[in-house]
Amino acid sequence: MAATTPPARLRLSSPTGQRGRLRGWRKALLYVVLIVAAAGVLLPFYWMVMSSLKTNNEVFTIPIKWVPDVFVWQNYVDIWTKADMGTWLKNTMLLSVAVTALQVLTGSFAAYGFSKVRFPGRDVLFLTYVGTIAVPWQSYMIPQFILMAKVHLSNTLWSIIALQAFGAFGVFLMKQFYESVPEELSEAARIDGLSEYGIYRRIILPLSVPALASLSLLTFTNTWNDYLGPLIYLRSPHLWTIQLGLRSFINQYNAEYALIMTGSALSVLPIALIFVLGQKYFVEGIATSGLKG
Amino acid sequence: MKRSILTAIGLAVVVPLALASCSNGGGTASSTESATASGPVTLSLAGWSLKTTPEFQKLADAFHAANPNITVDVKEYDATNYDTQMTADLAAGSAPDIYVQKNLKNFITYQSGNQLLDVSDVAAKVGNEVSGLADYKVDGKTYAIPYRQDSWYLYYNKDLFSAANVKTPDGSWTWDDYATAAENLTSGLKAAGNPALGTYQHTWQSTVQGLALAQTPKADLLSGNFSYLKPYYERALKLQKDGAQVNYGTVTTNNLNYGAQFGTQKSAMMIMGSWYVATLIAQQANGDANTFNWGIAPAPQYDSSTAGTGKTPVTFGDPTGLGINPAINKSKVAAAKEFLAFVASEDGAKGLADIGITPAHVSDAATAAYFNFKGMPTDNLSKFTFSTHNTKPENPVSKHTAGLQNILADLHSSVMSGSASIDDAIKTAEGRAKNEVLNQ
Amino acid sequence: MATTFETRRPGSRLRLRNTLMGWSFILPNFVGFALLTLVPVVALFYLAFTSWNVFGAAKWIGTANFTRMVGDASFWTAFRNTVYYTVFHIPLTLVVSLALAVLLNQKMRGVAFFRTAAFFPYITSIVAIAVVWNMLFSPDYGPINQFLRAVGVSDPPGWTTSGTWAMPAVIIVGTWREMGYYMLLFLAGLQSIPGELYEAARVDGANAWQRFRNITIPSLRPTTFFITVMLTIGSFKVFDLILVMTNGGPGQSTLVLSQYIYQKGFLENQFGYASSISIVLFAVCIAITVFQFLMNKRRDA
Repeated sequence: MAATTPPARLRLSSPTGQRGRLRGWRKALLYVVLIVAAAGVLLPFYWMVMSSLKTNNEVFTIPIKWVPDVFVWQNYVDIWTKADMGTWLKNTMLLSVAVTALQVLTGSFAAYGFSKVRFPGRDVLFLTYVGTIAVPWQSYMIPQFILMAKVHLSNTLWSIIALQAFGAFGVFLMKQFYESVPEELSEAARIDGLSEYGIYRRIILPLSVPALASLSLLTFTNTWNDYLGPLIYLRSPHLWTIQLGLRSFINQYNAEYALIMTGSALSVLPIALIFVLGQKYFVEGIATSGLKG
Repeated sequence: MKRSILTAIGLAVVVPLALASCSNGGGTASSTESATASGPVTLSLAGWSLKTTPEFQKLADAFHAANPNITVDVKEYDATNYDTQMTADLAAGSAPDIYVQKNLKNFITYQSGNQLLDVSDVAAKVGNEVSGLADYKVDGKTYAIPYRQDSWYLYYNKDLFSAANVKTPDGSWTWDDYATAAENLTSGLKAAGNPALGTYQHTWQSTVQGLALAQTPKADLLSGNFSYLKPYYERALKLQKDGAQVNYGTVTTNNLNYGAQFGTQKSAMMIMGSWYVATLIAQQANGDANTFNWGIAPAPQYDSSTAGTGKTPVTFGDPTGLGINPAINKSKVAAAKEFLAFVASEDGAKGLADIGITPAHVSDAATAAYFNFKGMPTDNLSKFTFSTHNTKPENPVSKHTAGLQNILADLHSSVMSGSASIDDAIKTAEGRAKNEVLNQ
Repeated sequence: MATTFETRRPGSRLRLRNTLMGWSFILPNFVGFALLTLVPVVALFYLAFTSWNVFGAAKWIGTANFTRMVGDASFWTAFRNTVYYTVFHIPLTLVVSLALAVLLNQKMRGVAFFRTAAFFPYITSIVAIAVVWNMLFSPDYGPINQFLRAVGVSDPPGWTTSGTWAMPAVIIVGTWREMGYYMLLFLAGLQSIPGELYEAARVDGANAWQRFRNITIPSLRPTTFFITVMLTIGSFKVFDLILVMTNGGPGQSTLVLSQYIYQKGFLENQFGYASSISIVLFAVCIAITVFQFLMNKRRDA
């Protein structure tokens, strides 16, 4: 038992590879490189935010306008009043949370079955799962839509939840992660008399917090930004998500680009917030060492 | 393995059922409204971008005013993905009673898939003043009724013309006149210290190919022979090289908006569709566009035989029409046909002209209503342009059209971006047309 | 009595118990998956042998679609372009995201900011990304070419307006977009490496690069495997990036298989043919994935 308590200074969240602070100039160089890289990476986003403060005809010009002539702060008001951003936000949030919860729960549960339990046909079944990831969605979109329409699910939020919550991606991700958890841990628990479900709940689940957190974030982001699915399944304006709602600014011959940029910029914020706040779960998650006790 | 056999059996039952029963979906509001012919009826109509495209609601309201016991309920679709959504809905049996034929390219798909009711009786009633009606005829029967017919004109900025000291169009321009004017405008404006260019060509393939197809004698898209495109592309590339119009690559990468280019006076001329009139007027009213004097003139002609205000200039444009979903409740067909007749009638045309849409029904009353629209240029040349034209369809109706247009879209991007020479691109396109589309 | 019964048939009872156990874990996810994904995908396999324009019944035509595909020059162009994209996208993204993960796996001030910055491209809407990058790549007015001219490149590439440079431009944007996503997965993987391994190596005198090569890389194998498979499949399936950035152009220089499927299916309503192309795409992906699985299994042994 003592072997499973990690010594105080060897917490797993210690930097892997580099111990202690970097030496002076190397650290400064690293920061410089990172800041320049971050600026480059964020440049497109900077343009987006600046464009959200322009008038429509100023957004796309030659040469590129990096700063608006006049700051149209009104856009950030208009997006809530002129457009239905509140409804879109609510729908998008609802869908993202529901899909993420279902995907993470059922996916990790199934992944445990695939990874730790041996039964005939397991590998073939798993390959089938992974195989469906290899089929582009627009290929089977129409048969799927016909199926959903026949059960009267289309044009409801349930359609998107049903479509996305049972994907193969989550199963695949978690299975890979479980394979990196040493078998000895489960063995020890089995000897102690725990059932498989008990092992899953008490030992494996807590260990897999980083992976679960990553899966949650990625599923959340994918559902948040999903465009084709809602386009086909969510027709009524009161069901629209943010991506669909922004499309309503594009009519047949014209587009209100400034507002589209405003909506896009706002749409990024919730996820960025979740990412920043959830850092410690993705990366500095609870994990135990001392397996080699 | 047993599971997959079960699935296969299940599928063999489900799929043909699903595929064959495209009718009788009836999940829409119409199923509860089966009234007698004289009782209240509700029809559902597909439209797009309802907030910014008022024509559907206008037609629905005008029709209801004239026929109080028929209500038309407009359902919203996405403007750019309209056909994808409509296809999905028709396949699943949840499409509305009446839906818009956005362009001729997809009309034939719906028609050949038996998704349009025969409306030849409505066509006979509507008569000859409706342009574009013939385009909806397949095998002697008409399957849709046009309510709107756009044509392509030449828009020009009178103020920039006088700043550059170039004579404005007089209705008799051929392509050579146009090219010369564009070059003179560019140098004249530069001399006057104005950064605007002579003309602007948008990125769509139709800006070059539409007029080439309509104006060149004996040009036939479906023949797979595309040599008629060559002179038009040579001209466009020359204008681009001489700096009289913005480079195609710059337009695509900077996502330039044709409305912004003409409306904020970055270009003195532009060849564009008739829908732009309403947009420009609206933008001048709300400040998105500058205030300046402008007019419309006939598009430049192939040669002098069709050029001039005594003749009928040739231009292109697809009609926009309405078709009836065959899954419609039988008792509502009469009401639906009434609606179709209305949109092509003079009353429908006047309603459309009131909001700046170019109706399919050509008549003096409609023209007068159109030019009463506040902000419309009222000079004689503009009136001539609007009322007198021979508009040929951009998309001839055939099952090969969609495939051929995709090939020509690739030709357009490779020629205009300079990635391939005109001759090479035409040769490639003709080869592809023969091997990939015309042999199907 | 019970004991003798057990010793006579240990295998099958254990197998049955494991099968039931395994299925009980899988079932919640599998039910949804089978109904909503597996059934339409199987329908797709059926449709590949038919000619179907979405409306009306699908007509069985046997292998005619596949015969047509073999002689279809545009199909082969799309196939070549897809392989072109994949061959460059996978290693580039793998290296960049691993480097980012290792670099940002330390305790330093502001590391949360840098990680978020790396992830930003993934959370921004694809339409906005395409629009902005097109502008950055603009041959006459874009900052990238302005920079290249400033450092002396006299004839900078046309990027998305040139048949030769369009695909490289797309590859760059593809990596930029996905590096944060895979960085996150690598970070999660890095967390499961016990710190003592590094300690022991350090004590043995190994330097940073040796520690990286001998500890980090092998320990990351399940994660790397997962990421490689996802990258492979994702690259073969690439669609919305190309659609909004170049729409397959100029000409057909960036036409990829998923886009060709979309064109044939939704723009030309030839769903049977589009389905058969999907099957080919699927077959190629599966073949490569199986190969990767086998390689991975062999390493396990």
